[in-house]
Amino acid sequence: MLTRIANGRVIDPANNRDAVGDLWIRDGRIIEVPPGDRPDATYDATGKIVMAGAIDIHSHIAGWNVNTARLLLPEYHRAAAPRPIATPLSKAGWSTFETGCRYAEMGFTTVVEPAVSPHYALHAHLELADVPIIDKAILVILGNDDYLLRLLQANESDAAISDYVAWTLEMSRSLGVKVVNAGGAAAFKENVRAFSFDDVVPSYGVSSRRIVKALQHAVTALGVPHPLHVHCNNLGLAGNFETALTTIAAAEDLPLHLAHLQFYGYGKEGDRGFSSAAAPLAAAVNAANTVTADVGQVMFGQTVTISSDVLRQFNARKQASPRKWVILDSDANGAGIVPYDYRRNNFYNAVQWAVGLELFLLIEDPRRVFFTTDHPNGAPFTAYPEIFALLMSRERRAQWLAELPPEALAVTTLPAITREYSLGEIATMTRAAPGRLLGLRDRGHLGAGAVADVAVYEDDADRAKMFRAAALVFKDGELVVRDGRVTQHRWGRALTVRPERDAAIDRRMKAYYEDRYGLSDDFVKVPEHVLGRPDPFERVPCVS
Amino acid sequence: MKPLVLTLRQRPKQRLDLSPLVPHLLAGKTASQIERIALQTTRQSVDVAEIFRVRMGDVERILIEGACERFDHVGQSMTGGEIRVDGDVGTQAGRLMAGGRLVIRGNAGPWAASGMRGGEFQILGGAGDHLGAPLAGEMTGMRGGVVVVRGPAGERAGDRMRRGTMIIEGKSGAYTGSRMIAGTLLVLDQAGPLPGFLMKRGTIVLAEGSGELSPTFLDCGQHQLLAMKLWSEFIRPYSKRAASLLKRSLRRLAGDMAVLGKGEIFIGKRN
Repeated sequence: MLTRIANGRVIDPANNRDAVGDLWIRDGRIIEVPPGDRPDATYDATGKIVMAGAIDIHSHIAGWNVNTARLLLPEYHRAAAPRPIATPLSKAGWSTFETGCRYAEMGFTTVVEPAVSPHYALHAHLELADVPIIDKAILVILGNDDYLLRLLQANESDAAISDYVAWTLEMSRSLGVKVVNAGGAAAFKENVRAFSFDDVVPSYGVSSRRIVKALQHAVTALGVPHPLHVHCNNLGLAGNFETALTTIAAAEDLPLHLAHLQFYGYGKEGDRGFSSAAAPLAAAVNAANTVTADVGQVMFGQTVTISSDVLRQFNARKQASPRKWVILDSDANGAGIVPYDYRRNNFYNAVQWAVGLELFLLIEDPRRVFFTTDHPNGAPFTAYPEIFALLMSRERRAQWLAELPPEALAVTTLPAITREYSLGEIATMTRAAPGRLLGLRDRGHLGAGAVADVAVYEDDADRAKMFRAAALVFKDGELVVRDGRVTQHRWGRALTVRPERDAAIDRRMKAYYEDRYGLSDDFVKVPEHVLGRPDPFERVPCVS
Repeated sequence: MKPLVLTLRQRPKQRLDLSPLVPHLLAGKTASQIERIALQTTRQSVDVAEIFRVRMGDVERILIEGACERFDHVGQSMTGGEIRVDGDVGTQAGRLMAGGRLVIRGNAGPWAASGMRGGEFQILGGAGDHLGAPLAGEMTGMRGGVVVVRGPAGERAGDRMRRGTMIIEGKSGAYTGSRMIAGTLLVLDQAGPLPGFLMKRGTIVLAEGSGELSPTFLDCGQHQLLAMKLWSEFIRPYSKRAASLLKRSLRRLAGDMAVLGKGEIFIGKRN
């Protein structure tokens, strides 16, 4: 099957291409212009923009936290059913099925669920297997689990830690490792309610810094392409930008990814002791070459915050709106589900909104800042098109700023920022860079040999409208979306890495689960056959 | 002017959603427009004319002659006027009702008066479980108005009630007034086990007590309170028996101490 997408403006920053031309697809891959062959299908893209399928590196779309949020808010499912668009949080009521469709309609073809506890990986994969069209991956959470903390407490070798990380990655079929408030959740179990980077977990005697560094070294040593994905301590607190600066300094020339940096961009200036510290934070990211960050932009409206940072969620439970929440103080990280309503006229929410945009605009290299809302924590992922428009237009930002509380704007630098993202920079941030960050060499670009995930957009001056509904989307070379509507359902794969490890760790883990849980280590494993789809996994090579 | 009369032609083959048949939604509609209103809850479409013979009249007063337990959402969200139903109705009758008068001359299914905010709702037969209660996930149940049930009510009547008055002249099921936040609830016959379970505030009056009271309620002794006499005057138009109960000496229990403990249960007879 030979497909030609004709006469579109192809924007492919990974291959330095931004020109009107054709794109050719054969059997699910992009190819060079074939000599003389006639295409089986031609799609006219004249006046349209052609990009690779977008990649979302951090979006909570599956797993036990997401399901707990669904259980906590059944009224939104009911409200969403008869009138999906007009209802508040109509977006959070989505099923796994709609998640895949709505991502595809915006031109996204790969999405990473970034917080899966190893013991719940099977559930997450079963749910992801029900997300149609897009490819997906999970990041597995380590750093508050008893086994790792004991290894550190006993001063075991780097190799022992690497083997354990490799074992967990394979068993849970993950693409990378995330650490959420390293040590904080373990300390929470001992009634600790505030935990910083150099605080020590009671009983284990291990600092947060030591956990992060150990995992960072293990991930690097194993050649896992995606750097350690860090959810720092002290999320959401005034003055917490210093925690983020400390964490950035601790990266020490090894790769490190900071998740939803917006939630760490707060200073203590101003009358209310809450201000934007995005400028120093962005400067620190600009100076640290090995550090990458995603933003976690806030948008106004009702949403629900779901996090494995049980300590932070416990402290935030009183802000729940509607006034109900779930705190699960359980195995390893536990979880907290707190519904929240970001309001435009609220000083703190307005500052949060501004901090996110400041980070986007002040971090200079679009290859090191990633596009997320930490769905659904900052906003549902359907808010993306509006955020693209805000980044691309100073005027649009000015319109929004005019409606915000002036005292909130006074403690940010956003009104003074004039930068506007170009389409090329948007393509870098949402395609080329995430493909590279996750080690997906055949995604995020349109060079020969790449997976034929392609999004075609109308070149509409209203960028939000343009990105909301792609004109055409191809997944593995098959047309799946036309004029913003899904036309064909198919099933994507889950991307995994499988680094080498010493076989001794398998025996050790078996003994640990027998001894500690009285269970077979089988319950951590995700067997391929239970997912009920042919070839549910695709292996991503490690860096040697 | 005569009322709008809807006479049952035939028992429907599926459950029907009668929420469009309320005065404020019918205002300004002609008889033929009303006949074309869709009531189905499945893919098989059913309109008013198929189920009812329509005799046009004042839409502020609606009379439904002949009903069945497949009629759901009767009088839902009504804001004024009057609806009278001869026969039984299904689930969520009078849900989110904000004003007007709704009378069911028959039995009502579960979640009658759910989240009701105002108006008067009378059920001449019995009510199912969850009378006035919130649907899953909602934070409060009944928030205003008056509900009178002449017969018995099922379990969890008045669950998470926030304001308003609920009178049950027959028996009530288990957990009557569970998780009440405020408001008043009277039962003129025996209440099921554990009335006022986890109630924070509010007042429950049980003429015949309950087979099983939670140990987390504290006995405060017999009282004849002036407030009860005033309240009796308010209740009299809705239920004479309830009004005379409130003039008697009542035993007061405070609770539920397992939560806030600012609620109270009054009991008409010693048990």
